[in-house]
Amino acid sequence: MQTTTYQANLEQAREFLYTLIQKNASPEGVEWLDKQLSKLRQEWDYRTFYFSFSSVPRFLGKASITYDEASLSKANALREGFTPQDWDTTQITRTYILLFLPHDDLKEYALTIDRMCETADMYEQQALYAALPLLPHPKELTGRAAEGIRTNMTNVFDAIALHNPYPADYLEQEAWNQLVLKAVFMGRPLYKIYHVDERANPELARMLIDFAHERWAAHRQISPEIWRFVAPYLNEEYLSELEKSVKDGEPLEVEAALLACSENTYSGGKELLDQHPDVKGRIAKKEINWQSIGDRYNVNK
Amino acid sequence: MQFIDPHIHVTSRTTDDYEAMQAAGIVAIIEPAFWLGQPRTKVGSFQDYFNSLVGFERFRASQFGIKHYCTIGLNSKEANNERLAEQVMELLPLYVGKEGVVAVGEIGYDDQTPAEDKYYRMQLELAKEVDMPVMIHTPHRDKKRGTTRSMDVAIEHGLAPHMVVVDHNNEETVKEVLDRGFWAAFTIYPHTKMGSERMVEIVKQYGTERIIVDSAADWGVSDPLAVPKTAKLMMEKGISEADVHKACYQNALEAYSQSGQMKESDWQEGVAIDQREKYSGNSVLRGGQTPKVKGSSGIVEN
Repeated sequence: MQTTTYQANLEQAREFLYTLIQKNASPEGVEWLDKQLSKLRQEWDYRTFYFSFSSVPRFLGKASITYDEASLSKANALREGFTPQDWDTTQITRTYILLFLPHDDLKEYALTIDRMCETADMYEQQALYAALPLLPHPKELTGRAAEGIRTNMTNVFDAIALHNPYPADYLEQEAWNQLVLKAVFMGRPLYKIYHVDERANPELARMLIDFAHERWAAHRQISPEIWRFVAPYLNEEYLSELEKSVKDGEPLEVEAALLACSENTYSGGKELLDQHPDVKGRIAKKEINWQSIGDRYNVNK
Repeated sequence: MQFIDPHIHVTSRTTDDYEAMQAAGIVAIIEPAFWLGQPRTKVGSFQDYFNSLVGFERFRASQFGIKHYCTIGLNSKEANNERLAEQVMELLPLYVGKEGVVAVGEIGYDDQTPAEDKYYRMQLELAKEVDMPVMIHTPHRDKKRGTTRSMDVAIEHGLAPHMVVVDHNNEETVKEVLDRGFWAAFTIYPHTKMGSERMVEIVKQYGTERIIVDSAADWGVSDPLAVPKTAKLMMEKGISEADVHKACYQNALEAYSQSGQMKESDWQEGVAIDQREKYSGNSVLRGGQTPKVKGSSGIVEN
C-alpha cells in the first residue's frame, strides 16, 4: 500500500482557513460554504465539489483580508514558509475546499488536480497553484507545478513563484532554474521567492550571466537582483561582468553588484568593493541588502 | 446610450467589430456556448472552447473596453452525438460556476430528436441544481411547436419562467412566451431570424416588458451592431428612450444578473483597457502597433 506524504496537518490547515473565512465573509456566504461541505461529507460527489470550488466568488466575494502577525505566524507553524498574506476571501475559501479532496488514491487525486488546472480560469489557477504547499502528495505534483510556471499570466506565475515554499522544497533543479529565470524575464520581485538563496546553483548563475550579456547587447537594463544569484559563484570569470555593472549601471545596479562582491571571499570582488567605500559602508550598516534593492527596483519600474 | 448585446458569438468576430461595437455604445456582451459550424469530434475541443469563453475571449473583449460574459452548455445540434454528449455533460459542472458565467445555454431543440430532448432535460436539471438562469435556443424548423415544447419541458423540470430566456422568437411565438411569464429574446439576424423593422412592430404591439434584443452575430453573414442599429430605428419610429433602454439594456441585465455573476458596476466605471497586456502570451496587437492604455488590470506583459 502506498503511503501519503503530507506537508501540513490537513485538519489544522482547514481549521486555520475556516477561522479566516468566518472572520471575513458574510454569514450567508459561510452558510453556503457549510452547506456545500456537509453535502460533500455525507456523500462525495465531484460535481458538487467542482461547482463549489468555482462558485466561491459568487457566494463569498473577493474581499481582501487583513492578516495580523499571529495569523501569519500560525500559518508558518502549519507549514514552514506558508504565507497567505496576499490571499483574498475567494482564494482562502477555494484552498479550504481543495483540502477536502480525497487523496487516498493518488492516481485519481493527481488526475483531478490536473483536470481542475486544465479547465480553470485565471483566478482558479492562481488559487490552485498557490495551494501547492498545503496539498498532500507534494512530490507527485512537481510536473503540474512546472506546467504552471509556463504560464504568461502574471498572477498565476506569482502564485507559484512568490511567497510560496513549494518550489524551493520540491522542484527539480531544472524547473527551479526556469522559475527564477522566468521571474527575471517577467520582471517579478525575486526577493519574494522563498528560500531563493538556498537554491542558488552554478548553472543558474551561468544562465543569468548569459542573460545579462543578451540584455547589454540589446542596450537594455538588467534587474539588479540577478547579482544575488551570481554572488556565491563569483570568480575571475564573472568579475568583468560585475565591473561593467559598477561602471555603467544605474545606481541600484552598482549597489547590487557591490553587495554581491561583499558576499564572497573572492579577492577580485573585495578589491572592486574597496574602490567604493561609501557603498561598502552602507552595506556594512545593512542599509543595502537584497530586499531593499528588490523593493526599490520594483517600485521604480 | 448604452447597450448590452446578450447573445453574440464574438469568438468568430474581428477586432474591427469590437471597436465598432464599443463606439456604438455596447458596454457588455454575453457569449453563449455554441456550435462551430462544423461538429466537434472530441471532448477536448469543447474543453478548449469553454476555456476560451471564460479566458482569452473575455480578455480580448476587455482590450476594447467591453465587459464579456458567457453561458455554458451543450448545444442542441451536438447533443445528437450521444457518445460525445455524455463526456461534455461531465465537463459542464467544471464550468457553470465560474466567474462571469451567467446562464446554462444555449440549450434546447434543433431537430427535436429524443437525444436533444434527453440532454436538454439534463441541462435544465443542472441549471436548477446550481440556481442559474437558462438561455434557450428555439429551433429554426417547426419553431412554434419547438418553442412551446421548450417551455413545457422547462416547467416540467420545475424551472421558474423568470429564470428562463427563450431566444430567437418571432411574431408567431412571442405572445405565448410572454403570456407564460418567460423572457422573450429576439435575434436581429439578416434574412433568417428577425429584422429591425419587424422588431419595431413587435415592441409597438407588445411593449418592452421582458423583451430582449440581441444580434447572435457569429461566423455567418450577421451584424454585431444589430442591437444599437435596432435601437436607433426604434427611436426614429417614435418608441420612447425608456422603452429602448429596457429592451436593449435593462431587461438583459435583469434576466442574467439572477446568476449573481453580472452587475452594472462591472462596467459602469469603465472596463480597464491595457493593450500592452498579454493573455497566455497572445496579444491583440501585431508588430509595430501602438497599444491603447486606459486603467489597468491583473495581467502584465512579459
